[in-house]
Amino acid sequence: MTEPDLRIEIEDLVVNYGDVRAVDRVSLSVKRGELVTLLGPSGCGKTTTLRAVAGLEDPSGGMIRVNGRTVYSAAERRNMPAEKRGVSMVFQSYAIWPHMTVFDNVAYGLKVRKVGRAEIVENVHRVLDLVQMRQYADRPASKLSGGQQQRVAVARAIAFSPEVLLFDEPLSNLDAKLRVTMRVELRELQKRLGITALYVTHDQEEALAISDRVIVMNGGRIEQIDTPEEIYRHPGSLFVAEFVGNANVIEGQAETTPGRDGSLGFRTASGQMLRVAPGRNASGTAVALQAAYIDLFPPGRSDAPNAIAGTIHRRMFHGDFIQYLVDWPCGQLLVRRPPNDLFAEGSAVVVSFAPEYCVLL
Amino acid sequence: MRWFLDPRLLTSLIVGAILAVLMLPPLVMLVQGSVLSAGGSPVWTLSHFRDLFTAHRGLETMANSIVFAGGSTLLSLLIGGVMAWLVERTNAPLRGLAWVATVISLGTPYVLHVVAWLFLLGPVGPFNDLYRMLGGNGNLVQVQSMGGMILIEGFLWSPLVFLLLGATFRAANADMEEAARISGATVLQTVWRISIRLAMPAILALALFVFIRAIGAFEVPALVGIPSRIYVLTTAVYDSMTRMPPNLGYASAFAVVMVGLVSVLLHFYSRLSANAEKYQSVTGKGYRPRPFDLGAWRWAAGGLILLNFLVVLVLPLLALLWLSLQPYSRGFSLAGMKSLTADNYRAVIEAPNYLELAANSLIVAAGAASVIMLLAAFAGWIAARRGPGGRTLDQLAMLSLVFPGIVLGVAVMEVYLRVPLPIYGTLWIIGIAYVIRFMPFGMRYVYAGVLQLHIELEEAAGVAGAGYLTVLRRIVAPLLTPAMVAGWLFIFLIANKELAIAVLLASPGSQVAAVAVFDLWVNGQGGELAAFGLLWTVLMTGVAFLFFFQSRRGGTDIYGN
Repeated sequence: MTEPDLRIEIEDLVVNYGDVRAVDRVSLSVKRGELVTLLGPSGCGKTTTLRAVAGLEDPSGGMIRVNGRTVYSAAERRNMPAEKRGVSMVFQSYAIWPHMTVFDNVAYGLKVRKVGRAEIVENVHRVLDLVQMRQYADRPASKLSGGQQQRVAVARAIAFSPEVLLFDEPLSNLDAKLRVTMRVELRELQKRLGITALYVTHDQEEALAISDRVIVMNGGRIEQIDTPEEIYRHPGSLFVAEFVGNANVIEGQAETTPGRDGSLGFRTASGQMLRVAPGRNASGTAVALQAAYIDLFPPGRSDAPNAIAGTIHRRMFHGDFIQYLVDWPCGQLLVRRPPNDLFAEGSAVVVSFAPEYCVLL
Repeated sequence: MRWFLDPRLLTSLIVGAILAVLMLPPLVMLVQGSVLSAGGSPVWTLSHFRDLFTAHRGLETMANSIVFAGGSTLLSLLIGGVMAWLVERTNAPLRGLAWVATVISLGTPYVLHVVAWLFLLGPVGPFNDLYRMLGGNGNLVQVQSMGGMILIEGFLWSPLVFLLLGATFRAANADMEEAARISGATVLQTVWRISIRLAMPAILALALFVFIRAIGAFEVPALVGIPSRIYVLTTAVYDSMTRMPPNLGYASAFAVVMVGLVSVLLHFYSRLSANAEKYQSVTGKGYRPRPFDLGAWRWAAGGLILLNFLVVLVLPLLALLWLSLQPYSRGFSLAGMKSLTADNYRAVIEAPNYLELAANSLIVAAGAASVIMLLAAFAGWIAARRGPGGRTLDQLAMLSLVFPGIVLGVAVMEVYLRVPLPIYGTLWIIGIAYVIRFMPFGMRYVYAGVLQLHIELEEAAGVAGAGYLTVLRRIVAPLLTPAMVAGWLFIFLIANKELAIAVLLASPGSQVAAVAVFDLWVNGQGGELAAFGLLWTVLMTGVAFLFFFQSRRGGTDIYGN
C-alpha cells in the first residue's frame, strides 16, 4: 500500500526524445505540504520530469503516482490524460488566455468541472484575494503586466484546489527585483495553504531559498536530493559543488584514516596538508569549499584551522558582500566576506576554514 | 556635398520614379476610361456607370460575385482549416499527404484544375456515371451552376488556406492549450474554447483575404460560369472586352467598381491582420507544440486527410491523365481502356508551337520575377529601414494589390495602346503586367526578410566605415539572399499559374501556357490540353518543390497569392 503521506511518487521514470534520453531512471517523492525543487542546467531533464507528472509527455518507462493513484505506469500501459490527474501547473510563459478576462481565466478550471455559479464566484474571489488581484477581475488578460500575469497564473492554478501544484520556472520571465518579491510571496502562499508542490528552476539561489528539499539533476539523472542547507554545505558530487553556490574545488589526495575529530587529512596537488570532512561516495581526489565559509585574517594568525598564507589578488565590491580572489599555494581561491571585512589588493593574508565545510568529493 | 548627390536620397528617387511609372498609369487610365465616352472626340460622362445599373443584369453580376466569393471562401476555409489543424496540431497519420497536395497544386495552373473538375463533375464524369449506374436518371451533379462554381473555387483555394492557417497553428503557443488541459478541459473543450478562439483573428483576416482574391478570380467564372450564363464582375469585364466591338468604357466602369470594392476590403484586411498578432503573448522556452493525441479518432482523421488528398489532387490529375490518353473526351470506362493512345502527347511534343509556348512562359515569368526582386530589394529595404521616402515607396509598390488580374489586363492594355511604345501584342506587355501585378509579393518577401535582420548588423558596418551602398551590397544583399530566392521562385510560380492577367494581353504571336490551355479548352481540344497541361504541371511541380525547400531552409514565410 502507498503511504497516504506521499503526494507524488516517481519510480524509474524514463523519457526519450527520439534517440535522446531526456530523463534517465529518475525516482523521487514529494510529501504532503512539501515544496520540492528540481534544479539543474537547461537540458538536464527537470522540466521533462515535471511535464511527465502533469501528463504532458509520453514517458517510455517507469511509474508515476499522484496522491496514491497511478497516473502513469509503463508496466500497466497506463498514461492518464492531463485533465484527469488532479494536478495543476504554473507555466513559464504564464499561458494566460488573452481572449478572456482575469476572472474567466481563473474560473475556467471550475467551469469545466461543472461547479455552480455561486461557488465559482466565491472561489475565484478568494484566490484573487490571495494573490492581490481582486480589483483586476474584470480586466482583459491581454492588458496585464508580466508580474500581474504571474499572479493570475498562480490564482488559476490553485482555484480548483488541486492535489498537487507544479511550477515550471514560474519566475524566470520576471525582472530581478520582482522575482525576489514573488519568490517570497509564493513560498508564503504555499506554506499557508499547505500546498504540495514540485518546482522547476535553473536558478540555484531561488531553489535554495524556496524549497524544503532540492533535487539537483544533470544529464537526465538525479545527482543529489537533500535539504537546501545540506546541498550547499555538503555537495555530494563535483557537479553539485560547481552548480550550487560558489564552491572552490581543490584537487589532491585524501588520506584513508580519519583523525580523532572525524576529519580526514588531504594533501593538495601543491603539497599543502588540509583537514577536510569525509564525503559520501567520495573518490578522495578533490574537495569542495564554498567561498562564503572561508575566513581571511591579517598575517601571523596560526591558531585557526587550515590556516595558510596567501595574497589578495583582486577585490570586488558587490554591496551585500565582498568577493576576493586570493593567490594561495593551490592556485587561486574565491572568497566571499561581509562588506565590512576590507583587505587591500596586494596585501598578505591568512586563509582559514573549518574542516567540516571542506567536503571530500 | 550637394543634396542630390546624397546616395540615400538618390536611390530612393530613382526607385520611386521607376515604381511610379509602372504603377500609376494603369490606375489613372482605368478611371479615365470609365468616365470618357467612346468615339473620336471623347467627352466626360458617367454613362458607363449608369449602364452598370440599367444594362442587362448589371446588379445581378455584382450579387453573383459576392455569392461566389463568399461561398468559395467558406468552403476553402472549412477544408483548408480542418486539414491545417489535423496536420499541424494532431497525431493523425498520413499528414505528409497534405503537404504533397499543397506543393503540387501550387505548381498547377488553376485553369487545369478547373478543366479537370469540369470533366469529373460533368455529364460524362464518374460521379454522374456512377449515379446513372445506380439507377438514377440524368445528372446528379449540375456542374454548370453557381454551386459547381463555388465547389471548384473552394477546392482551388483550400491548399493556400491550409498553408497559411498551418503557419498560424504552428506558431500557436502550445502552453495555452496545455494550461487548459491541466485545468481539466478535454481535447474537444480545449480546441473549442482555446485553440479556435486564439486563432480567430488570423482566421478572419485570412477569410477576408481569400474573399478578396475570389472576387478577382477569373478561371472558374470563365470556364464554368460563362457557358451557363452566370456572370460575375471579372467575366463581365472580360466579356465586354472580347465582344465585337469591345466596350472599353463599360469594362472600365466594372473594373473601377471592382477596384473600389477591393480597396475597401483591403483596408479592413490590413486592420484585421494587424489584429491577428494580438494574441501572440510571452512565449516560454519554445517547446515544439506538442500535438494533440486523438486516440482512436486519429484513424478517422487520417481518413479525412486521405480523402482530401484524393479529391484535391489525385482525382483531378487522374482525370487529366485519362483525358490526355483518349482520342476524344469520354468518361472513365473499361471500353475507354481499349482506346488509350499517346497521340495527344505526340502532338504536343512534335508541334513546334507548344515548345515555343513553354519557352515564352518561362522566359517572361523569369524576367518579371528578376525585375521585381531587383526593384523590391531596394524599395523593401528602404521601406523596412524607414529610409527617405520609405512609406511612399511601400505604398507605390503595394498599389497593384487593388487590381484583380483581369482588371490589370484591361488597364495595362489601355496604357500601352496610347503610349508610343511598340510593345502591344508582344511578350513585353505581358511581362510588364506581371511586374505590376506581382510587385507587392516581392516587396513583402524583402520587407519581411529585412525585418528579420537585426539592424545592428548594418549599423556595425556603418561604424566600421562602410558607406550606404557598400552596406547594401556587402551586408544586406548577402543576408537577404534566401528571402530573395524564395520570393523569386514564388513569383515565378504564380506568374505561370495565373490566367487572368495575360488572357487579354496575349496575342497569337505571344502566348503563355495558361492562356494556351484556356484557348485549347475554348476550341474543344481537351486531349492535347490535358497532355500539355500534365507535362507543364510536372515541370512546375519541380519548381514548387524547389520553392518549398528554399522557404524552409531560409525560414521565410509563404505569402498567399
